[in-house]
Amino acid sequence: MSMKKRIRDPKKIIDRIDDLPTLPRTVLKITELVNDPKSSAKDLARVITDDQILTARLLKLVNSSFYGLPQRISTVTGAIVLIGFDAIRNLLLTTSVFDLFADRNRKRQQKQEKFWDHSLGCAVGAKVIGNYLRHDNIEELFVAGLLHDIGKIVEMMFQPDEFSKVVAAISKENILMITAENKILGYSHAEIGKLLAEKWNLPAKLIQIIAHHHQPDVAGSFAMEAAIVHLADIFCRALNMGFGGDNKIPPLDRYAWESLKIQTSAIESIMETMRDEYGDIRSFIS
Amino acid sequence: MICVNIVDLKPGMVLAQSVQNHQGVLLLDAGTKITKKNIRIFKSWGVIEVSVKGELDELKAAGETPVAGVKDTAEMELKARFSNVLDDPVMVEIFNAACKLLIKDLPKNEHEKENSRPKKNYR
Repeated sequence: MSMKKRIRDPKKIIDRIDDLPTLPRTVLKITELVNDPKSSAKDLARVITDDQILTARLLKLVNSSFYGLPQRISTVTGAIVLIGFDAIRNLLLTTSVFDLFADRNRKRQQKQEKFWDHSLGCAVGAKVIGNYLRHDNIEELFVAGLLHDIGKIVEMMFQPDEFSKVVAAISKENILMITAENKILGYSHAEIGKLLAEKWNLPAKLIQIIAHHHQPDVAGSFAMEAAIVHLADIFCRALNMGFGGDNKIPPLDRYAWESLKIQTSAIESIMETMRDEYGDIRSFIS
Repeated sequence: MICVNIVDLKPGMVLAQSVQNHQGVLLLDAGTKITKKNIRIFKSWGVIEVSVKGELDELKAAGETPVAGVKDTAEMELKARFSNVLDDPVMVEIFNAACKLLIKDLPKNEHEKENSRPKKNYR
């Protein structure tokens, strides 16, 4: 390797990627409507029915075995009333993000699927931990878990050469991906993810969680949520859900653990619920 | 026919009576072989107990043990991943919980598989 170390600015890297995916307008509109207490199921249905793919997807979900209803739901309004605003926003954001990064390259596709499994595991984990802590916005935690490693996907798709160097270092030295990234690239997926989230105009909370899921204490007013995603990341790696890019469990951040005040005796039941819900959700997303 | 609490319900059991939610909407018909997913759905609809076909001791045989060799490998793999963090007592707890849960999911012992096959031919 060459001796002169090139310091690269992740911001420049993000700017250079012209074809960086953008969130569909429908999803942004839906997020807005869900956050507005004055909007009704009819308002939401109007936006969804404008998009045939979203409509089909939503009806497929409500009629899937996940909800286990004996009769078929054939209208979008019916679906909204049944599964709720937040769940709909979640579903649409989830599947849109999956689509955006869908890769036609077969080899990469397999790798990517494992990454997504890891993200999905972390999303379910964040939701289950949030539930245990009676957090008031569980749906948001789910999305945060899902997007926490989005920077890794960007690196994989748009910086394949750098990414393969990182992968080589991980397998040679058996280290965490973030350690390898900092060593080789001088920045990590957390920073790339943050920049993408900013570009997408995601809420400040999500940006902070993505940026600081490895050091929750610096996430400012969203330190609690970052700590939840941090712990969920550890849980889903322990449970073998997907592949986060390396074969190591990141160390537990003391601050995160102490601030969450989770009973040690609750760990097992949280992880068990996580495993069950992961199995269910995976079957209808893929 | 026996009444089984939702927490004791296992995949492969056969419903003796249909299951309805609190509004009386049919969730699953009598005679259906229960899957893991069905159990989750029952839980999410707040179903407390259901009636299944069979005798009590038949159900007790449901607790199966995994093959010893497979179990050791799974534990070793998990330990390798936790190698640098096990000085933290909380991590030890997480490790133990993961170990227990992963072992539950392992392929079951051949002998017991034979025994349980008649009840579990839904695959």
